[in-house]
Amino acid sequence: MSLIVWISIVMGLAILAAIFAIESKNLMIAVISLIVMNFAIWIILLMFEATLLAWIQLIVYGGGLTALFVVVVSLTENQKDETFDLTRTTIALAVVAIIVSLLIWVVASHGDITIVGDRDPLTKFPASIWENRVTDIILQAVLFLATSIAIGVLFLQHKKKHKEVTKS
Amino acid sequence: MIDQIVLLILAIVLFGVGLYALLGKRNVIKILMGIEIMTIAANLVFIALGTEFETTGDGTFIWFTEFALVFPLISLAVGAAVMALGLALVINNYRHAKSVDTDEMATLKR
Repeated sequence: MSLIVWISIVMGLAILAAIFAIESKNLMIAVISLIVMNFAIWIILLMFEATLLAWIQLIVYGGGLTALFVVVVSLTENQKDETFDLTRTTIALAVVAIIVSLLIWVVASHGDITIVGDRDPLTKFPASIWENRVTDIILQAVLFLATSIAIGVLFLQHKKKHKEVTKS
Repeated sequence: MIDQIVLLILAIVLFGVGLYALLGKRNVIKILMGIEIMTIAANLVFIALGTEFETTGDGTFIWFTEFALVFPLISLAVGAAVMALGLALVINNYRHAKSVDTDEMATLKR
């Protein structure tokens, strides 16, 4: 398969995961969808050769903020489901449809997109950091993700134990 | 090689999804997720607009401008701080109001 097919698949995955994260009734599943979206964005950035940004994005958003989301969802789990509000949803969808279609029209009709800024020696700076510290950053990313998952699992177990103690 | 316009369209669609969460949802956690998605979309636009392609005999090279390198890093840091603050506010408010619904949070005095 050509690269553009893979890119389309990953883009579709990112968009679907984002929509699922917003529309899911279960907040924990929404957080998992958010992780999937972050991984899809990571793959897209790696394909775009924005390696440093891809890893930092994965560490900060895929790791740190996901851990925070898991903690908050665990602490606020006893809540009633959000009821469907037709007026609010219709207005929101209309506003989003107008803004998104306008933006896509602007981008598509523009043709060649101008590039802001010039080539700069700064370009070499993050690249050199990346080349020299590749193992460090990968290890930190793995460690951060593992810690995040561990914190989330610990919180869930704590909640479960607390429930069992309350029941007994 | 990814075309810039592909990345821009992905960013616009993600921004739309985040905006829908911001406007159409009442759960604060989902609103914060929407803000996170919008931040990621903004970063993608920074990267897409600050990238230059150069085709030579050896192949196609990608050059990143200072715009594409520095702004997403700052945006990531500020976005992470905003999300952490927002989630802290959610927890604090949940202890008082016992809810994460924005309509119920609207009452300040209890």
